[in-house]
Amino acid sequence: MTTLIPLPVAIPLIVAAFLALVGHWAGRRFCDTLSIATAGATVWASATILHGVWLQPVTYWFGNWWPRPNDVVLGICFRIDAIGAVIALLVSVLTTAGLVFSWRIFEETENHFQPLMLIFMAAMCGFSYTGDLFNLFVFFELMSVAAFALCGLKTLEPAPLQGAYNFAIVNTVGGFMIVLGIGLLYARTGALNFAQIGRSLGTHGDALVILSFLLISVGFMGKAAIVPFHFWLADAHAVAPSPVCVLFSGVMVELGVYAVARMYWSMFHSALAMHTDALRNVFMVLGGITCLVGGFMCFANHHLKRLLAFSTISHEGLMLAGMGLLTAKGLAGFVLYALSHGVIKGGLFLCAGIVLHRLERIGEDHLHGRGRHMWPTALLFVLGAWGLAGCWPFGTLLGESMISEDAVAQHQHWVPYMFIFVEAITAGAVMRVFFRVFLGWGERAPTDEASKVEEKPETEEHEHTPVMMLLPAAALILLGISITAVPGVRSAAEVNAERFVDQSGYAQDVLNNAQTATPEPKPEEPLRSSIVRTGIAGVLALGLALGTVFRRRVGRVMEFTRSLELGNSLLRRLHSGHPGDYVAWLSAGTALVGGSLMWLLR
Amino acid sequence: MMLHLSYFIAGWIFLWGLYGIVTSKNLVHQVVCLAVLQTSTYVLLLTVGYKVGGTAPVFADIPVGTPVVDPLVQALMLTDIVVEATVAALLLSMVVKSNELANTVDPEELRILTG
Repeated sequence: MTTLIPLPVAIPLIVAAFLALVGHWAGRRFCDTLSIATAGATVWASATILHGVWLQPVTYWFGNWWPRPNDVVLGICFRIDAIGAVIALLVSVLTTAGLVFSWRIFEETENHFQPLMLIFMAAMCGFSYTGDLFNLFVFFELMSVAAFALCGLKTLEPAPLQGAYNFAIVNTVGGFMIVLGIGLLYARTGALNFAQIGRSLGTHGDALVILSFLLISVGFMGKAAIVPFHFWLADAHAVAPSPVCVLFSGVMVELGVYAVARMYWSMFHSALAMHTDALRNVFMVLGGITCLVGGFMCFANHHLKRLLAFSTISHEGLMLAGMGLLTAKGLAGFVLYALSHGVIKGGLFLCAGIVLHRLERIGEDHLHGRGRHMWPTALLFVLGAWGLAGCWPFGTLLGESMISEDAVAQHQHWVPYMFIFVEAITAGAVMRVFFRVFLGWGERAPTDEASKVEEKPETEEHEHTPVMMLLPAAALILLGISITAVPGVRSAAEVNAERFVDQSGYAQDVLNNAQTATPEPKPEEPLRSSIVRTGIAGVLALGLALGTVFRRRVGRVMEFTRSLELGNSLLRRLHSGHPGDYVAWLSAGTALVGGSLMWLLR
Repeated sequence: MMLHLSYFIAGWIFLWGLYGIVTSKNLVHQVVCLAVLQTSTYVLLLTVGYKVGGTAPVFADIPVGTPVVDPLVQALMLTDIVVEATVAALLLSMVVKSNELANTVDPEELRILTG
């Protein structure tokens, strides 16, 4: 197993270089087959690694530069625990689905789509495996650059250029904040290994430690699309090719929250231990605002991909709230939620891609009633909405139950209600699209600025939905259900989260090669109350969608859905599409978070 | 004292870079502002690795034990430079494309996706 560890990063990179070199001569189908095979092999490798680290995390020192006793760490390591490994598995599964889906799109090979996807996958796998701070930054930038290029792939239209440019500017500024944070940490500790930095910082949390925590976590929260750092996400998702959106929404933004958790628990936890409550409040406020802004903007959008993008932002707020509880159980809930949300949202984006392929439009008003004959896609779409609502039997339910229960235990009583709000409004928006587009119910949707933007169809042929498109979408939605079927998945997640949050155990394991005892598995609580809560959310979503579609017939009771659908004009104007504005929000948000940290942690 | 000044300079450059990006009216100018912002990371890393009286960390012609500056930050900086070069090249190519397609390099006029 140990020899496999570098492979999920190395193989895709090698194949990507090879494809970039010969892809032009080798022809389209060769590139497709080879890239799908590579992604499939990565799924196998990352699944084997997950199996290997399930009970005991593994540290892999490159070039055998393991730390000598009582000496500084010179080598670079991958330190893989089950949480990092399962996220890498999600990365490779989503990449495979995206590559299979793209079998029928992008007729020309000139655009280097497949090599970029493989690089993107390799970088994200490395990002979730690494145990070294600068290595983490390198993988972060590698995945960012691949993502910028993938986002702006359709270089013949101005909208993708705008989306990719905004994405690149905002994320690069965030990236340099991370470098500054790393530089400060290195200045203090002289180390780059997570475990060694954590040990050197000890329990001494002064202004410099807080500043570097601020810079690093803001940089990663920019990637995680936390309000007010989220503006790039909607622009990027609206224009990126559908298989790329799957990776963006399904795992890239979740990696931002994962990185904040990794940084906090491996390096800063002891130093900031006195301030846990204050930090939790900061994360909770950020998560709550993100849920609200994302939810309202989601319902107010009629560009299919942009609607899904805002729903991602909203769910990202829930994930930050789960991680930000700063407990093992909250973290376990975040991981389960991220996994299920990732596959479900991936499936929904693929459905949007099928719609674009068949009907050549992406605005809800243009598509009205035109999807009537596409029943397999319609079925997947409504199942996806069901999954977003977190209803049984989707895996989102497991995350919801763990996060909500733990939030109540931590006196954050609003979190279960926030879950109901987010699930109802995002699932309601997706169901609204289902009723209007696939069933043709109600009157035509109102239009908005973004839904007027034309997107060139990614394909040529439109007579039927190809199996190569339907298959990955169906597989992803089914994966969202099958997570629930894994026996003891919540208890396993919690055990691994216990290990994740044990800073001294982590350092012992990495630096002294002293394996720590496996935490005792806790009994799983019954899901009954969670099923009721998400059931309420599902019913609310259905009511909201039906009420919106049949507004005229229902009458005055549902009149509020009109303003909900038109959206708040101030909120809309804030999403101005101007990169300067976005960076201004990034700076203002950093200053606000920094100010509140300095004030709360004084 | 001198070293404290250079930490201050790093922050100063960072803020000017931010100011430039926020107020820029030309995409090329904006990308250059991003490069300016990035130089703050060079200043910070150099300061972190600097040692008063230290020489270059090449032990070919100096005795072992001579005080040298930290070679690790130079490796970090090199990586940092590579990253910046890649991002700048990608961004500038997007600017060229946007000039071809939309015939503008003003971010204000390129706003297609809003709301």
